Amino acid sequence: MLTCDTYLMPTRLGEALHAWSEAPAGSRLVAGATDILPYAREGRGGDVHLPTMIDLSRVAELQGYEVRGNRVRLGANVVYQQFLEDPTLVRLLPNMPSCAVWFADDQIRQQATLVGNLVNASPAGDGLPPVLTLNGEIELARLESGQIATRTMPVADFITGPGRTELRDGEIATAVTVDAMEGYGGSFQKVGMRRSLVISAVCCAALVKTDPSGRIFEDVRLALGGIGPRPIRLYDIEDMLRGQEMTRELVARASLLPADRVASRSRVAYRRAVVSGFIEAAIEDALVALGAPKPTPEQREALHA
Amino acid sequence: MPEFDIDFTVNGRPVSRRIDPSLRLLDLLREGLALTGAKEGCGAGECGTCSVFIDGKLVKSCLMPAAKAQGASIETVEGLARPGELTPVQKAFHRTGASQCGYCIPGMVMAATSALRENPDAGLEELKERMGGNICRCTGYTKIIEAVEIARDVVAGKLPQTALDPEGVGASWIGHNTARLDAPSKVSGRLAYAGDMVMPGMLHMQVLRSPHAHARIVRIDTSEAEALPGVACVVTADDVPGEDGFGVFVHDQPVMARGKVRHVGEAVAAVAAESVRIAREALKLIRVEYEELPGLYDPEDALKPGAPVIHDYCPDNVVKHIPVRKGDIEAGFAAADVIIEDEFATQQVEHAYLEPEAGLAYVDHDDVVTVISPSQNITHHRHMLADILARPINKVRFIMSPVGGGFGGKEDMIYQGMLALAALKTHRPIRLIFTREESIACSAKRHPSRTRYRMGLTNDGRITAIEFSLLADGGAYGMSSEGVMRKAAILSCGPYEVDNLKVDTKVVYTNNTPSGAFRTFGGMQAQFATESMMDIAAERLGLDPFEIRRRNMMRAGSLTHTQQKLNSAAIDRVLDAAEASSGWEPGAPTVRGSTRGDLAGPGTRQPCTLGARFATAGADIETVKVAS
Repeated sequence: MLTCDTYLMPTRLGEALHAWSEAPAGSRLVAGATDILPYAREGRGGDVHLPTMIDLSRVAELQGYEVRGNRVRLGANVVYQQFLEDPTLVRLLPNMPSCAVWFADDQIRQQATLVGNLVNASPAGDGLPPVLTLNGEIELARLESGQIATRTMPVADFITGPGRTELRDGEIATAVTVDAMEGYGGSFQKVGMRRSLVISAVCCAALVKTDPSGRIFEDVRLALGGIGPRPIRLYDIEDMLRGQEMTRELVARASLLPADRVASRSRVAYRRAVVSGFIEAAIEDALVALGAPKPTPEQREALHA
Repeated sequence: MPEFDIDFTVNGRPVSRRIDPSLRLLDLLREGLALTGAKEGCGAGECGTCSVFIDGKLVKSCLMPAAKAQGASIETVEGLARPGELTPVQKAFHRTGASQCGYCIPGMVMAATSALRENPDAGLEELKERMGGNICRCTGYTKIIEAVEIARDVVAGKLPQTALDPEGVGASWIGHNTARLDAPSKVSGRLAYAGDMVMPGMLHMQVLRSPHAHARIVRIDTSEAEALPGVACVVTADDVPGEDGFGVFVHDQPVMARGKVRHVGEAVAAVAAESVRIAREALKLIRVEYEELPGLYDPEDALKPGAPVIHDYCPDNVVKHIPVRKGDIEAGFAAADVIIEDEFATQQVEHAYLEPEAGLAYVDHDDVVTVISPSQNITHHRHMLADILARPINKVRFIMSPVGGGFGGKEDMIYQGMLALAALKTHRPIRLIFTREESIACSAKRHPSRTRYRMGLTNDGRITAIEFSLLADGGAYGMSSEGVMRKAAILSCGPYEVDNLKVDTKVVYTNNTPSGAFRTFGGMQAQFATESMMDIAAERLGLDPFEIRRRNMMRAGSLTHTQQKLNSAAIDRVLDAAEASSGWEPGAPTVRGSTRGDLAGPGTRQPCTLGARFATAGADIETVKVAS
C-alpha cells in the first residue's frame, strides 16, 4: 500500500523545483505513477510511505515535444502512447512505435512517460535501447540561486547501473532530446512471459538506412537491453555493417558477435541465444519497415544450417 | 489525516470531494462513490478489471493516484448506458455468452469499448492487441473477441441489430445458446461480489501472516496493536470458542495458526479496524516470537524415517494412500512383449481467478453469525464453522456471493472463520479482501506430483499390465487432498481397459503451500502420465497413436480400473472426433519426420506478433524502396 502525507501538483517548473528542494527526505517525484504503485506492494517495496509526492504531470514546461532541426526535444510528460499515435513522432522516430506497442498495454501507455522510464533506469526498461540508438540526451533542471538552471548529458552516461543515474539532489529530468531519423527503418524486438504487460527478458532496438540503390547499408544503429546492468549500444556491429552490401550472410555473421556481451546475473545462456536472433531479426524488421520483403522461416533456417 | 480537494466529473455529473491523497482513483470510485463496476483484480496494472475512461482515454485506475483525476472527466462502466439499457458491446457480450464468472467483464467491456472508439474498423488481431491489457480466466477469450466483432459490425451497419439479440430456444434447450440470466448484471458492472459489498459501520480486516514455513509460536503480543486508535479488535487462535479445525476431508486446519505455523503465509493474527490503512499499521505492531522448526519441502523427504512431523495426529506424514488392485500384474508383465518404464512430474499451479478472496461477516439481532463469501462449499463451511464457534447450526449462516472464478480454489474455508470471530468480538460488520499477493501466497494450489509408471504391452499394442505409483505434495494441510488422490487413482490408467493393474496414489504433508482442489481434481496429473505413456508406447511399437488407443479403449461391457462394468463408453467417438478435427495424418510418430502436413494447418494459433494497427497507421508513411 502506498501512502503519502502531501500530494502536490505543480503547474510550473519553477514551482515544482521549489517544492522538490523543500520536500522532506524520502519524498518522490512521479509522472505517470505507473511504477511506484506496483512497487508499493507485498514482495517488492511492501507498504511504502512517502512524505510528499510531487506529481509532474501538470507542469507546463514538461508537456509536448518540439522539432529542432534534426533533433526532437521530447518533454518529460510525453507518454508512450504518443509514439504510436502522433504522426510526426511516428515519422521522425521510426523505432519508437514498435517499442511502444510492446511496452505495457494501451492503457498504461496513456500514463507512462518515456522520461520516467529513463529515470527509473531498469536494466530491462523498454525505452532505453531505442533512446540509445537515437543518441538521446537527457535534460536536467535545478534551482540555482532561485533561478532555473539546466544541464544535459547523453542518456548512455546518465544511466550508471540498475536503478542508478547521475540525477542529483534537487534535480528534475525535464526532457530527452533525440535524433530525428526520417527515412530510417526502425524496429524493436522483445521477449518476455506474455504479450502485454511484460518486462523484457531481452530487448533490442534497431534503426537502418539504405543507400538510394537499396543495396548498401548507409547507416545502422543497434542497442540491446536486459543483458546486463544497463543497456548498451553496439557500435562495433554498426561499423561492421555500415557501407557494406546488404546480404543475409553478413547480417547473420554480425548477429553472432554480441552474445558475449550478456552480463546478466540470471538466464545467461538463454539470453545469449536470444541476443543473436534479435540482432538479425531487428535488422530484418527495420528493412521490412523500409519495404523489403520479410524473409521466410525457410530462408532463415537455410542460413543457419 | 492529510487532505486533498478534488473536483471532477463522473459519468457526466460533477463531483467534489475532500480525500486522502493516498487514495488511488480505483479506491475513490469504489469506496467514495460506490461505483463498484471497476474491480480490483491485482492492484498492479496486470489484469484490467479496474479500467475506466479519463478524458476519453482508457486507463487502469489501480495505477492512478486519485489526485490525478483533478478536473478530469471520468467514465466508468456504469456510465456507458442509461440504467436498464445496454450498449451494443454489452449486448454482444450477453449474446455470445462472453461472461462467465463476470469479474473481468466490466473491464473487458471497457477495453472493447475503447478499442472500437479508437478504431471502429479494427480487425481481429488489432482488437486482441488493443485488449491485451485485460485478463480473463474463464472464457478463453474466444467468446469475448467474438462479441467485440459482432458489436463492431452492428455499429458499422454490416450486421442487423438483431445480431445482438440472445438466441431463441426452440423446442429443446439442448443445442441452443441459452442466454445467461445473470449476463446483463455482469456486462453492466451491477453484479456485486463480496468485495463490492458494504454495510453501515463496517470494519476492515487485515491479516498477519507467517514468514516461516515451519515454526513454533512462542508468544503473540497484540497489546500495542489493540491500543492503536481505530483498531476495534485483534483475533488469534485463542479467540476460538469451540473445536478449532476445518478441511474438506480431515479437519486439520485451525482458523488461525495454533501453536505453530506450517507454511509461509499462514494466518497468525487478524486486525479489525476502521480502515484498511489503520489495520495495516496495526499489523506492524503485533509481536510474534517464533522458534523455527526443521521443515519438509519435498514429498519424498516426508516419507523418510525420522522426518519432521508436521501434524501430531499423523506421525508418518501420509495424508492419504489410495490403492487400487485388479488382476495379477506379475502374470500381466510376464505376458508382455515390451515393458516401458518412465517417470512424470507435474508442478504446483495457482488458480488465479480474477476475484481475490473476499468476505463480509456480521452478527444480526438474533445472534446469527452470517458470512458472505464466494465459498464453493457453503453448506460444509456452515457446519464446520458452527463447531468452531461452538454455536448451534441455526445461529451460523453462510451466504454465497457471486464467485469471481473459483476452479476449486475457493472450496477451503481459509478466511471465513477469522471474519466470524471478529464479528462476534466487535458486533460490527467486517470485511476482508485479499490482495492478489495474499491470494497467491495463501490459497490452495494444484497438487505437484511425481508418477512412476511401468507398462507392459504385446507387440500389437495391447496393454497387459500397469504399475502406477503417484506421490503428491499435499502441503501443510489436508484440504481436498484425499478426494484428489481418490480421483487420481480411479482415473489413473485412463479410458483404457487394463486387466492387470496395481495403482497407488499417495499424498503427504510438507511445509509447502497447501494443495487442494483444482479443475480435474487429480485427473490431470494421472492423465499426463498415462497419455504420455501411450504416445511413448506407440513410438516404441511403430503404431499410430490413435490406433494404439483404439486397441485398448474401454467399450460397453468393459470393467473399469475399480471393476465397475460399463453400460456404455464414448472414447471411440472422442478419438474419431479428435482425429478428424486435427487433420491427423495416420502413421507411427516416427515415420514422417519434419515433413508431416498436419502441423500448422488452418486453425492453428500463429506465434504472437504485435503491431496490427501499423498496417493502417503506416499506409500514409512513405517507404523507401529496398532491393530484395
